[in-house]
Amino acid sequence: MNENRRQILEMLAAGKITADEAERLIAALEDQPKPGNGSAGQEIQPKGKPKYLRVLVEADESMTGNKGLTTVNVRVPMQLLRAGVRLASLIPAQAHQQLDDALNRHGVPLTLSQIKPENLEELIDHLEDLTVDVDGKDGNATKVRVFCE
Amino acid sequence: MTPNIAIVHVAIPHWGTIKAWLPLFLLWIPAILLSPLIFLVILAVCLAGRISPWRTIASFWALSCALPGTDVRVSTEGNKVLVRIL
Repeated sequence: MNENRRQILEMLAAGKITADEAERLIAALEDQPKPGNGSAGQEIQPKGKPKYLRVLVEADESMTGNKGLTTVNVRVPMQLLRAGVRLASLIPAQAHQQLDDALNRHGVPLTLSQIKPENLEELIDHLEDLTVDVDGKDGNATKVRVFCE
Repeated sequence: MTPNIAIVHVAIPHWGTIKAWLPLFLLWIPAILLSPLIFLVILAVCLAGRISPWRTIASFWALSCALPGTDVRVSTEGNKVLVRIL
């Protein structure tokens, strides 16, 4: 039995605390994160960096017009995303203005020339925390999940 | 590491199934043989676009090396397509 739990029960048996107080203390103990197999007080290891971006889509007939369920399951390595965004640096300077204008016309106020490689790295790093869950409602079985793993 | 094998499965009802393992590493042979020509084409395109050819080669090399692990599966109306790059 856990040492803290034993102490609480002993205090309850000795009449130092009431049954309600003992229950609250035990509940508080259970809420605490359990230590791992290592030594007590060891810091929790940080979660490993995600390696893949996953996109899962399940769309029903009402969404696609196709019979039955349509599923899409895509796994893209994060390295591929990093390499892909670096391709933006290959866009010729004379094409930047045209691209900026086209993006603005479609409601994306972005200036490509201001995007630096370090910004792209930051973008990918933050993408690792991204989770998007979309569920259809009212009988629509469409589901979209975007997450990193 | 560059991609070595691509696995492609295509299943179409009333037609059949194709399961193919494509040895991408064999592409190295024509790539090496044609490398002078490929390099000249890249150089010409880069000079025309005023971008660094080295940066272009590095970007495409990084893209190629990042491909292993890609997995795409689509299924609809009984049709199934799977593409995996190893």
